[in-house]
Amino acid sequence: MINNQLKNIAEQAKIDLKECRNHNDILNIRAKYLGKKSLVNSLYSQLRDLPEEERPSFGKKVNELRNELEKIIEEKEKEIKLQIVNAYDSVQAQDLTLPGVYILPGSLHPLTIIRRRMENIFISLGFQIVEGPDIEDEYHNFDALNTPEDHPSRNLADTFYLDNGYLLRTQTSTVQVRTMESFPPPIYIISPGRCYRNDKPDPSHSPVFHQVEGLVVDKGISMADLKDTLQFFAQAMFGPEVKSRIRPHFFPFTEPSAEMDISCVSCQGKGCRICKNSGWLELAGAGMVDPNVLDMMHIDNQIYSGYAFGIGIERIAMLKYNIPDMRILYENDVRMLRQFSRELI
Amino acid sequence: MIISRNWLSQYIDLPDDINELIQTLTFSGIEVESVKEIPALPETVVTAKILSSEKIPGTEHLQLCQVDFGKETLQVVCGAPNCHTNMITVLAKVGTILPTLQIEANRIHGVESEGMLCSEKELGLSENHTGIIELPQDTHIGISVNEIYELPDIILELEITPNRPDLLGYIGIARDLSASLDRPLKLPAITKIGGENVPTIKLILELNDSEKCPRYTARIMDQIRVKESPLWLKNALIKSGFRPINNIVDVTNYVMLETGQPLHAFDYHKLKPIHPEDPYPAIIVRRAKPQEEFIALDGNKYYLDEEDLVIADGQKPSALAGIIGGRDTAVNNETTTIILESANFAPSTIRKTSLKYKISTDSSYHFERHLSPAYLEEVSNRAIELILKVAGGIVCNELYDAYPKPQKPLYLSIRPSRFEELIGYKLDIQLIKKYLIALGFQFIGLGPWQKDAIYEESLPKLLYQEQDKTSDKDLFDNPQMALYFLVPAYRIDITREADIIEELARLDGFDKIPQKKTIHPIMDWHAHYIKRKIEDYFRQVGFYEMINPSFIDPTKLEYFIEDKTEFDKKIIRIRNPQSSNQSAMRTNMLPQLLDNLLFNLNHSERNLKLMEMGKLYWKDSGKHYENLHLTAIMTGFNALDHWKAKNNAIDIYDVKGVIEGLLDQLGIPIDKMKNVHYPWLVEADNLAYFCNNQLCAYVGRLKAKTAEKFGIDITTLKQDIWILEVEVNTLIKLTRNHKTKFSPLPKFPSVIRDISFLINLSIPYAEIVNSIKQVEPYLIKEVNIFDEYRGKGIPNGWHSISLHIILQDCKKTLTEERVEQVIDSVRKMLENTWQIKMR
Repeated sequence: MINNQLKNIAEQAKIDLKECRNHNDILNIRAKYLGKKSLVNSLYSQLRDLPEEERPSFGKKVNELRNELEKIIEEKEKEIKLQIVNAYDSVQAQDLTLPGVYILPGSLHPLTIIRRRMENIFISLGFQIVEGPDIEDEYHNFDALNTPEDHPSRNLADTFYLDNGYLLRTQTSTVQVRTMESFPPPIYIISPGRCYRNDKPDPSHSPVFHQVEGLVVDKGISMADLKDTLQFFAQAMFGPEVKSRIRPHFFPFTEPSAEMDISCVSCQGKGCRICKNSGWLELAGAGMVDPNVLDMMHIDNQIYSGYAFGIGIERIAMLKYNIPDMRILYENDVRMLRQFSRELI
Repeated sequence: MIISRNWLSQYIDLPDDINELIQTLTFSGIEVESVKEIPALPETVVTAKILSSEKIPGTEHLQLCQVDFGKETLQVVCGAPNCHTNMITVLAKVGTILPTLQIEANRIHGVESEGMLCSEKELGLSENHTGIIELPQDTHIGISVNEIYELPDIILELEITPNRPDLLGYIGIARDLSASLDRPLKLPAITKIGGENVPTIKLILELNDSEKCPRYTARIMDQIRVKESPLWLKNALIKSGFRPINNIVDVTNYVMLETGQPLHAFDYHKLKPIHPEDPYPAIIVRRAKPQEEFIALDGNKYYLDEEDLVIADGQKPSALAGIIGGRDTAVNNETTTIILESANFAPSTIRKTSLKYKISTDSSYHFERHLSPAYLEEVSNRAIELILKVAGGIVCNELYDAYPKPQKPLYLSIRPSRFEELIGYKLDIQLIKKYLIALGFQFIGLGPWQKDAIYEESLPKLLYQEQDKTSDKDLFDNPQMALYFLVPAYRIDITREADIIEELARLDGFDKIPQKKTIHPIMDWHAHYIKRKIEDYFRQVGFYEMINPSFIDPTKLEYFIEDKTEFDKKIIRIRNPQSSNQSAMRTNMLPQLLDNLLFNLNHSERNLKLMEMGKLYWKDSGKHYENLHLTAIMTGFNALDHWKAKNNAIDIYDVKGVIEGLLDQLGIPIDKMKNVHYPWLVEADNLAYFCNNQLCAYVGRLKAKTAEKFGIDITTLKQDIWILEVEVNTLIKLTRNHKTKFSPLPKFPSVIRDISFLINLSIPYAEIVNSIKQVEPYLIKEVNIFDEYRGKGIPNGWHSISLHIILQDCKKTLTEERVEQVIDSVRKMLENTWQIKMR
């Protein structure tokens, strides 16, 4: 009778195993036959109720059964594993010409891209970025920058005025003043930001535009340093083949003043429509900080000297990306913006 | 290198304050790695003689000693195995307090003991505890051990940089200190050793490879007695970390410590001649033969190759050159005649051989760093002098010296002007001279600077050689005017003007270098990084950046205000606008973005995500304010057409996702969310986010009526328009003190369990999650929703929610039982609190 019982367990196990499809099934079967509350374990507990002399032979048989069960369960487990592995290693793909899935990013505005590139270039030269307010007083925008009371740039036709003598800054040079007010030399800063001038919008003008202003005040700073910096910037922005030059100009807050040109990025200086056949493109206004400006800031102009420059971000973006009209930049047309989603920044 | 302050003070007067010494060493480029003080012992620890010793009956090794310390005789019990009659040792009298114990009168095995005989370890001198100290028989008794051991002392461990082999000896360090402390150097007087003519004891020296061995000298000493070294010698070596061996080996080590030059002694009688009939043994400096066998001092056997340099006798290698001596020619107690080797080996050959056989010795360490061959005779003389002192004997008059290409004296010129260019300040000409002369350089005159090092034969005729004109400052108005110096041979590292300038800067002190440009940190890096991160984030999740003018049509702003009088006070108007629709500074970017939206919708763009980060402007009581703000608009489908995923119209969860993703990326926890009530947003379809009670952002659906004002017709557009407003300045402020710090990784795995249940729609998800976390806050790390379903099969007013619950115990691995228990409590809590139905 006991023999039968053992045999039945073995038979039933074989039937159960046939139904096994996956790893979980195996776990269940193992629990059913070999686990703590399993059939085989319950046989062991019967051992106690048997007469002494029958125990060894019964125990032996149960052990044999357990070994047998372990063997066949293990075989089945191996078989199932092999099936899974084989299925995994077989072809899954269907039509590989269907496109893959990826997330499409948007795009930063080209003015942001250029601003960030300019920031990176000047940071590499040891400049710090400092920002200032758009709404300024006449002192920071004009007086401290050596602009006489009757200077034409103070006209209503040039400058936007708010109430109580406030105005919208006409250049980011205001940040120069604010920095020199608070920090002694040496100063190496750039200041990106919005500027406002009462210009009618046209292909090369906008009442709101963006500028990066640079200021250096230190001992022994000369125009040669200014030239180096502008040349480095031009090549970092437009490529190593770009040449630069400076020529005399006038700004109230620099002496000597200069404008900086680069060789035309479109025709490489041969002359074309973009450079109006001159081979050169105007890029920046610059110069040595006027001694009066240093004086106003209580910086000894016999010990220190400095240079300043202002570069239009729109101008750079238009030249670099071949954008013919400044107004395109302010239309915010996503079809335009999409063209810049791959630009490195 | 390990040095004793007392030993060092033989060569230079040192500052009394050890910290001053450490400071001086550190700032002259010799880093002090550790400092160990050996304090003086109490005066009650004295030398004493054991007059008699007898075993105490009934004990295994205790002896009763009568000990004489000069004044009286004491009875002391001693258990040391080496304790014997007539021994001179160290006695600690009753009442002595030693580092580890206090000596008291006591009875041991019924016998009175009036003190203790000490081992080196008990006195804190070394780790040696094999027996009590045995001092030489000629030691005076009753004197303080401090006298014997030169206590107190301070042991310094110095890091000698690889470019300074000249600092691998006490004298080198003292010389450098004499320059930086401006104190005279006291060198031991080395007398010229003449020696005696001993016709029977001579040597054949052959140098076969002068590339690998630029110079080899040998000297023979006879009738010496090899024995234990005297106390002073042993002490000196122990303090510098060397183990005393015998008087000959100890002297060679002592002289190496003193001068940096390794020496080696062979037993003369163990060296073989080239031919058996030759009268004298040979020393041949040569390459090893392939597979040539060599047995080192330590008994290890090596099979050499032709790259290795050996010191051989007539038959076989007796030393691996510059690295280790041979077993068969080593000096031992029977040795009476020695050959003292003082030689120079090329660093590369030492390094290669040492690496190949993995033998690193003090000798190889020194040679690898490139020593000068110029002083071998002097070093040898120093050793001979000491050997004569400690081992007796005579020295043979012959100096064997193979030096085919002597090291040429090197001259360098240095411009004071160049020092200023390179270091940043002017160093006085007299100081330049003083420092360099203290380092052993010889000043030879002034002349025009020369770039390259100069040898004797090409030395130019120097100007002002006759009388020293270095105080004539006008001369140095010419920046090419230079001082010419002869470089001491031991400074093999100095070959260029820049090397000399380094010496000068180092000795004058780097703290003298002025900091010319004190650039003030002006830039707000934090704001810079956060702004860029926000820009990049919006770009990555699909937004196009708009840039609109700062001025705006004020009437359009009025669609987005709650209080007209408030608005009129706030708005900044332009006195001279170009047109009325540009007559005010923007207080809100939404009108411009809606214009942008319409513009782009009109160009057949249907799915739009637009954003602008820019300033808003307003005034309050006459003051102007500018604030960085971000506004964004979303409409249409969330993703572009894709064959694999069904497109979904953007809904509140997509919009929430943008803000919640941003706040998560910035590490800003949301501690409050609530509805806003703005007239232009659909009531309840909006949400504002707060952290520390500050508004960070809000999102909402634009009312159709507001859209209409901008020419956008919702009935034909058939898309929701979503608005996102982000307070950029607040985000910058909230993150300003964030610091990313590594935290140790959890050692125990986390466990994920899924639960699904039906729950009434009236119960907010956030509350469910919070209540689940409350069940076991220590273990439940995360609760995430992975499925939500309502509709078919779910009762009306209910929905099905499926959650991942992530559990982790940071102190141990979670057991299956514990996990089940927690999940069970979660289920019970949900059932009791929310009347859910588990699925």
